[in-house]
Amino acid sequence: MNNEMKRNPEDILNSLNDAKRAGAPDFFYTRLKARMERELINNRNRSWIIRPAYAFAALALVLLVNAFVLLQNNETVTDTGTTDTDYTQSIAADYSLNDNNIYDLNQDK
Amino acid sequence: MTELELIQGLRNGDEMAFKFLVDNHQDRVYNTAIGIVQNAEDAEDVAQEVFIQVFRSIHTFKGESKLSTWIYRITTTRSLDLLRSRKSKKRFGFLQRLLGDGNEPLYEPPDFHHPGVALDQKENSARLFKAIKGLPDNQKTAFTLHKLEDLSYLEISEVMQTSVAAVESLMHRAKQNLKKILEKETG
Repeated sequence: MNNEMKRNPEDILNSLNDAKRAGAPDFFYTRLKARMERELINNRNRSWIIRPAYAFAALALVLLVNAFVLLQNNETVTDTGTTDTDYTQSIAADYSLNDNNIYDLNQDK
Repeated sequence: MTELELIQGLRNGDEMAFKFLVDNHQDRVYNTAIGIVQNAEDAEDVAQEVFIQVFRSIHTFKGESKLSTWIYRITTTRSLDLLRSRKSKKRFGFLQRLLGDGNEPLYEPPDFHHPGVALDQKENSARLFKAIKGLPDNQKTAFTLHKLEDLSYLEISEVMQTSVAAVESLMHRAKQNLKKILEKETG
């Protein structure tokens, strides 16, 4: 019977009618202050990155590195244009791929 | 300290004013948050975020409503935001379980027991809180503010920036929906 009473939806709906207010946990203010100070320090540490002077310097550095890499690559391509062919030919010679192939051998027979 | 002095103190970054604000509002903020998020740790987290937001954006408070109304509004918004992010995390976890190698079972929170509920009502209130989870956000807010914070319909309408008639309608629909959920559950 008691269980039936408890399962009545109307009783369940009214079960919060006399509820007391839940109090914030102990030392709430101390923990809140600590969190605010922590966030303030983090923001300070992060804020220098977004200063225009640092942002422009970083951008200039990235552009400079990109330009340097591009120039270096161009030079390497023109320098090694012929040596690449030599290298290929030497590998072909090492593996006897230069003169004869399977069709030539058959013709000789 | 009057409300005007408190607001002025907060705008000047006065720590004493901030401590006064926290001391006077921490319980109502925490109680509202715990009613919505139904978890003590999350409620403390939300309460801290609320006071940080109040401190940072006090200059945007125009004084058209009471300070407590504004704080209630921030609390309910923050609490509902947390529920939304929790829901999306849960959905992502479910997907991971479907697609990945997740063998771990999905986390199902235990029944929530509000610390202010009397012992003889604990079982019923746990059922009610479980049913409240199934309500739409605005009904959940109105019902929680009315039942746990004992706010009048007028005060709720100020918090939710709507009319008293709209709050009455929200409360009516919330009760109807809760009854349906509870009847289904109790069979």
